[in-house]
Amino acid sequence: MSERSAHMSVMTSSAPRVRRMTLRRRRQVAGFLFALPAIALVVGFIGVPIGQAVYYSFTQWNGLTSTWIGPSTWAQAFHNSNLWTALENNALLLLAVPFALGLPLGIAVLLHQRVAGWRIFRSIYFLPTAISWVVLGLVAERFFAYQGTLNSIIHALGFSHVNTNMLGYESTALSALGITFVFTMIGTNTMLFLTGLATLDPSLEEAARIDGAGSWRIFRSITLPHLSRFIQLAFVMTVIALFSALFSLIFVMTGGGPGYATTTMEFLIYQTGFNQGDFGTAALYGLILFVLTGIVGVVQLRLIGSNE
Amino acid sequence: MAEITFDGVTKIFGDDIRAVDELSLHVADGEFMVLVGPSGCGKTTALRMLAGLEDITSGSLSIGGAVVNNVLPKDRDVAMVFQNYALYPHMSVEKNIGFALKIRGDSKSEIKRKVGEAAAILHLTDYLERRPKALSGGQRQRVAMGRAIVRSPQAFLMDEPLSNLDAQLRVEMRLEIARIQRILGVATVYVTHDQVEAMTMGDRVAVLRAGKLQQVDTPQDLYDHPANEFVAGFMGSPPMNLVRCHVRPGDDRVEVDFGDQTIELPWHYTSSHELPASGLDVVVGVRPEDVIITDASSPNTIKTRVERREALGAEILVHLSHLDSSADALANEQGALRDISRRSSLVAKMGPRVQVAVGDVLSVQISPEHAHFFDATTGVTLRKRKP
Repeated sequence: MSERSAHMSVMTSSAPRVRRMTLRRRRQVAGFLFALPAIALVVGFIGVPIGQAVYYSFTQWNGLTSTWIGPSTWAQAFHNSNLWTALENNALLLLAVPFALGLPLGIAVLLHQRVAGWRIFRSIYFLPTAISWVVLGLVAERFFAYQGTLNSIIHALGFSHVNTNMLGYESTALSALGITFVFTMIGTNTMLFLTGLATLDPSLEEAARIDGAGSWRIFRSITLPHLSRFIQLAFVMTVIALFSALFSLIFVMTGGGPGYATTTMEFLIYQTGFNQGDFGTAALYGLILFVLTGIVGVVQLRLIGSNE
Repeated sequence: MAEITFDGVTKIFGDDIRAVDELSLHVADGEFMVLVGPSGCGKTTALRMLAGLEDITSGSLSIGGAVVNNVLPKDRDVAMVFQNYALYPHMSVEKNIGFALKIRGDSKSEIKRKVGEAAAILHLTDYLERRPKALSGGQRQRVAMGRAIVRSPQAFLMDEPLSNLDAQLRVEMRLEIARIQRILGVATVYVTHDQVEAMTMGDRVAVLRAGKLQQVDTPQDLYDHPANEFVAGFMGSPPMNLVRCHVRPGDDRVEVDFGDQTIELPWHYTSSHELPASGLDVVVGVRPEDVIITDASSPNTIKTRVERREALGAEILVHLSHLDSSADALANEQGALRDISRRSSLVAKMGPRVQVAVGDVLSVQISPEHAHFFDATTGVTLRKRKP
C-alpha cells in the first residue's frame, strides 16, 4: 500500500460518517423557513377567518353565541330577494367599470403628451385618491342633492325648469353611485396608466410614425397593446374595489336606499349582520362575495398568465 | 429613390444648445453616406431631423428635391433602423415587417409577398412567426432591416444599428447591410460613432464634431488627407500621431524638430503646403504605419524609447517617447528606471515578428511621403489643395 492510500484509509476509518442533506434539500428547507412567517400570516388572518365564516354560515349567531342549524341558513338566504337585489346591483355597477378604465386611459394619454400644465393636471386628477372615500361620498351627496351642485350647474346653464334628485329615486340612485365610484377611481387608474405609458419605449412610437401611422393607429397598434397588462391590473383593482370598497360611499350617500336600490353585497353583509343581528347569514353573504371576487381574480390571473 | 440635401440646417435645443450647426451636405441618389463623430456631435440629431422626428430650427432639408422641413414623418417616405431596433414587441416578425405596408393599405396577398421577399433576402423566412423577444440580437437587427427594405422607401436612415451586437456579428452585419444597400440602390444615411464602420461601409463619410461638419469625403481620402487635426485623430485606429514641432522650411528640404532631434522631409512639402516661417510651431501628423523602425546608423532618424507594447496578434502597437539628449543616458540605463513608463509621443504599428521590449531604444524614421502638417492654432491642414 502506498503512503498516500494508507493515509486515506486512516482518515476514512477514523472520521465519523455524517449524513448531510443534499444541497437541493437544504434549499427546500431554507425556502420553507423563510416562507413560514408569510404562511403564518396568511393562514392566521385569511385562512382562519374564511374557515370561521364557513362555520358560522351554518349557525345562528348573534355575535356572542352561535347555534348550529345546518344548511337551512343557505336555503333561506337564496330565497331572500334582498340577496338577489344586491347581486343585481353589483352586476349593474359593473357597467361603471369601462368608464372607470376608459376615462383614466384617455386622461393618461393626454397627460403623457406633456401638454402645457400637465403636472398641475396630474395633481388634480390624483387628488381624489388622497381623499377619504367618506369625504368623497359627502361631496357627492351634496353634488347630487336636490339643492346641490348638479342642479346649480344645470340652472346656470339656463335650464332652470330642470331639477334632478338622483339619490332620491330608485331608478337613478345606483347611477349616481356608479358615477361617484368612477370619479373615485380616476386618480388611481390614471396614475397606473401613466406609469404604463412611462415604460413605453418612445422609439416604438417613432418607428410607427415613420412607418406611416397616425395618432389613432399608434394608439391602437402600439400604445394599447403595451398597456394591456396595466389595463388588466386596473380592471382587477377596479372590480375588487367595486365589490368590496363601496361601503363608505353607500353609507354616507344613500344608506343603501332608496329601498334597496343601492344596496350591494358588501352593504347587505353590514345590514344583515349589524342591523339585523344575523351574523350567520352575514357570514354566508361574505362567502358569496368572496367567491365572486375570487372568480374575477382567477379569471384575471389566467388572462395575465396566458399573455406571456 | 431620391437624393437628400441638407442646406445650412441648424438645430438648437432649448435656448442655446446647438446640436447641429449650419450643416450642408448632399447625399446622391443611391449613395451610402455615413455620419460619424463622437458622442454628442449631432449626428443622430441630424438623422432625426431627416426622419422628421425633430423640428428644424433653421435651414432647409430636402428629399428628392422637395423641401420636407414641415412634412410629417409618415409622409416623407423614408425608412429608419433604430439603435435598439424598435421592434413592436407584441407583433410577430411577419407583422413587424409588414406593418408599414398594412398602414399603406396594401392587400394581404401583396403584404405576404413583399414580406416573404424581404425575409428571404435577410434569411428570416424560418422566423416569421416568432416574436422579437424570441430572436437573437442579429436576427432582431435583420428584422429591423426588413421593416425598412420592405417599403422600398426613398431613403434609408440608420442610427447606429450595429452598436448592440457583439464584435463578430457586427462584422457580418456590416457586410450584410452594405450588400443589401447596393442591391437596392437606395440613398442611405448611416450614423455611427465607430470609424471602422464608417471606413468600411460608406461611399462617403461625413465627420461631425460639436454639431459642425468637419469634412466629407471618400473613406480613403479622409484617411489620407484629413482636413484638420480632429479628423486626423478620429479616423484611423490607432489614431494618427500628432506632435507639436518646430518646422524650418528650406529650399531643398523641410527640417522638423522633435525635441532636440531633427529630421528632414522632402522639399515638396514647401510647395504643397503653406508651412509657416522658419522656427514657428506646426502640428506634424504621422500615421502609426508610417513610423518605421530602422537601424541607428541610418540617416534622418529619431531616437526613441519603447514605453509600452500592445501585441494584437497580426500586428504590434509600440508606444514610443522620443528622447532628447539629456534623457538619452537615462534611457540607456539598464537599472531600475528601465521599466518605468513615460508619456509616449508616437505610436508605431509593427509586424508581429518584430522583437521589441519596454525600455528598448529604437531609431525610427518617418515615411517621407506621408507626413501631415496642421496649423498649431486652428488645427486646420496646411495643405494648399484643401480637401
